[in-house]
Amino acid sequence: MILKIRTFTPLRLIVTSLMTLGALSLSAEEKTAAPGDKLHVTHILGFEGVSKNANGDLFIDGDALRFQKSDNSGGQVAIRSIQDILVSTQDKQVGGTALMLGRAATPYGGGRVIALFTHKKYDVVSLKYQDADGGVHGALFQLPKGQAETLKSRLEARGLHATR
Amino acid sequence: MSTRTKLSSLMLIGAVLATQGASPLIGATKSVPAPQWSVQVAEVDPGDVNLEPAFRIAIYENLLEELTKTKHFKEVFRSGDRKAGGAADVLILKVTVKSYTPGSETKRAVTTVAGATKLKVLSQLTTRDGKDVLERTVDGNVRFIGSNLRATHNLAHNVAKGIKDAQLPAGSD
Repeated sequence: MILKIRTFTPLRLIVTSLMTLGALSLSAEEKTAAPGDKLHVTHILGFEGVSKNANGDLFIDGDALRFQKSDNSGGQVAIRSIQDILVSTQDKQVGGTALMLGRAATPYGGGRVIALFTHKKYDVVSLKYQDADGGVHGALFQLPKGQAETLKSRLEARGLHATR
Repeated sequence: MSTRTKLSSLMLIGAVLATQGASPLIGATKSVPAPQWSVQVAEVDPGDVNLEPAFRIAIYENLLEELTKTKHFKEVFRSGDRKAGGAADVLILKVTVKSYTPGSETKRAVTTVAGATKLKVLSQLTTRDGKDVLERTVDGNVRFIGSNLRATHNLAHNVAKGIKDAQLPAGSD
């Protein structure tokens, strides 16, 4: 009996591992909102005391809108200081740097074909609020599609004005 | 004294002299004048352009960040900040959007040449009484890698660089 052992070339090995990494990060991004009133979001920029691209929960805590990371750090703003909530959608490539490198390393233009299927629509919530000195701040959060409306309606229930 | 010892001594003396000669240069600190002006960033004016709200906010926040990074101003104030009213020598930065081409990250990934996000703004630096100090048209684009919002970071970086490179007039003090 002859056993055929399939050899992995270094390139194939790299592409396979990058694609696996990409798929793993893809599944991590697919996480939906946490149960209850917390929305799992990505902070894009602007929220004071929170680093860019931080993942965490956004929720109403008493009179404040709070962003909390898994290590319990984060930031908050008083709901009364929020001047406007704006909702928009954005189409983004998923999988991060790992999948991007995987696409680039895929031979025969295969990466371009992969790119056709690795994009996803997100809601982007833009908050405009004032600090204690009257300075205007803007913060952007990325949410899974459809969840921005939930946040908007929760804040509107508190008497806030929202622009579409 | 052997030739080797002589050579070593000469090299040692040479090294000491070189160090002494270089030390004033190493020790000297580049005289960077202390910034005279502070700046207040006004909210982004979308003009006649249908600019997505997220872009407006991202330009504003990135401008504040990039201007702070330049260390060209005493303080960088936000729009509406009451502290700016009491500060001396404050310039106002107004940004008006002139054109915006929405791009697509997927188009960029698939075609490489299409799907660029393009932003063009007019940045105006004025004194409190409305006197123009600096006026420039600045671009911020994303052509290959990065999300569409990356254009706002590139734009803010270019605006801040333009201001840093410009000669600002002397302040009142």
